[in-house]
Amino acid sequence: MLPQFELYRPTNLLEACRLKAQGAVVVAGGTDVYVAMHGGKLRPQALVDIKGIADMQEATYDQNSGLTIGALTTHRTIEEWELVKQKYYALFEGCSQVGSVQIRQRGTIGGNICNGAPSADSVGPLLVFGAECLVVGEKGQRKVPLAGFFTGPKKTILADDELLYKILVPPPAPNSASAYIKYTRRRAMDLALLGVSIYLALDKSRIEELRIAFATAAPTPMRAYQTEAKLRGKDYRSISLADIGKMAAAEANPRSSWRASREFRLRLLEQLVQQAFTTALQRAEGGDL
Amino acid sequence: MKTLTIQVTVNGEAFCKTVGVNMTLLEFLREELHLTGTKLGCNEGECGACTVLVDGKPVNSCLMLAVEADGAEIFTVEGLAKDGTLHPLQEAFIEAGAVQCGFCTPGMLMSAKALLDKYPKPTAQQIRKELEGNICRCTGYDRIVKAIILASEMNKEG
Ligand SMILES: Cc1cc2nc3c(=O)[nH]c(=O)nc-3n(C[C@H](O)[C@H](O)[C@H](O)COP(=O)(O)OP(=O)(O)OC[C@H]3O[C@@H](n4cnc5c(N)ncnc54)[C@H](O)[C@@H]3O)c2cc1C
Ligand code: FES
Ligand code: FES
Repeated sequence: MLPQFELYRPTNLLEACRLKAQGAVVVAGGTDVYVAMHGGKLRPQALVDIKGIADMQEATYDQNSGLTIGALTTHRTIEEWELVKQKYYALFEGCSQVGSVQIRQRGTIGGNICNGAPSADSVGPLLVFGAECLVVGEKGQRKVPLAGFFTGPKKTILADDELLYKILVPPPAPNSASAYIKYTRRRAMDLALLGVSIYLALDKSRIEELRIAFATAAPTPMRAYQTEAKLRGKDYRSISLADIGKMAAAEANPRSSWRASREFRLRLLEQLVQQAFTTALQRAEGGDL
Repeated sequence: MKTLTIQVTVNGEAFCKTVGVNMTLLEFLREELHLTGTKLGCNEGECGACTVLVDGKPVNSCLMLAVEADGAEIFTVEGLAKDGTLHPLQEAFIEAGAVQCGFCTPGMLMSAKALLDKYPKPTAQQIRKELEGNICRCTGYDRIVKAIILASEMNKEG
């Protein structure tokens, strides 16, 4: 049995915000919340289950504005969405590698973001696609870049009354491609020991746009802004892959944990950046994805 | 609210019960309905022993509240055999020797059922990917993969 709690199931967004402001813990798919409760790490007085809020379930695509993903959209829905595979391949790679089918069936993209884990598989891909968060509170809504959403391990900018409502992801350029490489010790059911996401737009051999994001390489998910800026506008044939790897890894700040040491992670990161870059490059030149 | 009355269909049979909101779907199936085929392994989403189908989709019943299943159709391992005749998947698991201690088997069968509904003729690779959430400590998985391919070849209703 889970510890006792009061359960609220509002169908109205503002009602959910009010309950959250009063201290109720938000639950979406529960794949983080119920695990923490089973383990005794979380003993909430009250839970507010937001799954009854219908428009948070919707996910749509528009060729001008891109994806609008309701926070309650499950990883499984993203994984099975053909359009995501065609246009946002790294996001497909991220969501389809979360946990297992069972976890993806329940776990939501909003929960993945709000949980604030540096290892979150959907976050790196969303970062390189330039995603923004639509946040709603009792007094109204605001738009925040996902890159500014995380303030520390398991900490986000959400105020007491605020919920993540939708995630907005602009359409990728036609001459672009993306890749997410997740490094784990076993092939399934493992958190990313490291993750590298890349978005690359090419004009022949000139790097028109490059965005790089890391999972589990710092206290929060992060972008490698300096490396991106240094490479933007360059001919990719003029830079060695090894240099790209070194440059990007120098921006990371991983910690040592029982999974791996900081030193190992930094070395590995150099390799994964090269692998992700080459993969994105091949996809961009292949003209698909 | 601390208790709620829910209506669920389990293996085709309708139930109406009042349960504590802190009861998991797994506890509801095992303790309220005495359907003990569904197993409690880790209680944290890692092992898949508790896998059941909710509206046709596999979920970990340890990570879902019973009240979240209100209005849903649940399918458990007890629903596979019909009038004493085993389901093709069960036949195939026996035939291929895919069961040793058997603790993972009910969950495996549920994931396999969902898999065959999605891919009627699955490849070994698809099977391994779709069953990634079901851990088996005995068989080494090979015979489980073989069993599912065998069941798909029996070419009956998945
Ligand atoms: C066995 C197992 C394996 C896993 N493997 C992976 C993996 O490989 N990769 C990975 O990234 N994750 C993994 N996870 C973690 C988890 O499944 C994901 O983080 C999932 O996306 C969480 O979504 P949820 O809807 O279940 O979140 P919940 O558990 O419902 O919520 C998570 C957190 O976010 C808050 N929250 C949820 N939605 C909102 C919202 N809209 N607004 C404000 N706050 C909100 C909750 O209060 C809570 O703090 C795994 C979990 C388990 C149990
Ligand atoms: S008991 Fe539910 S996944 Fe292990
Ligand atoms: S048969 Fe023993 S765990 Fe699978």
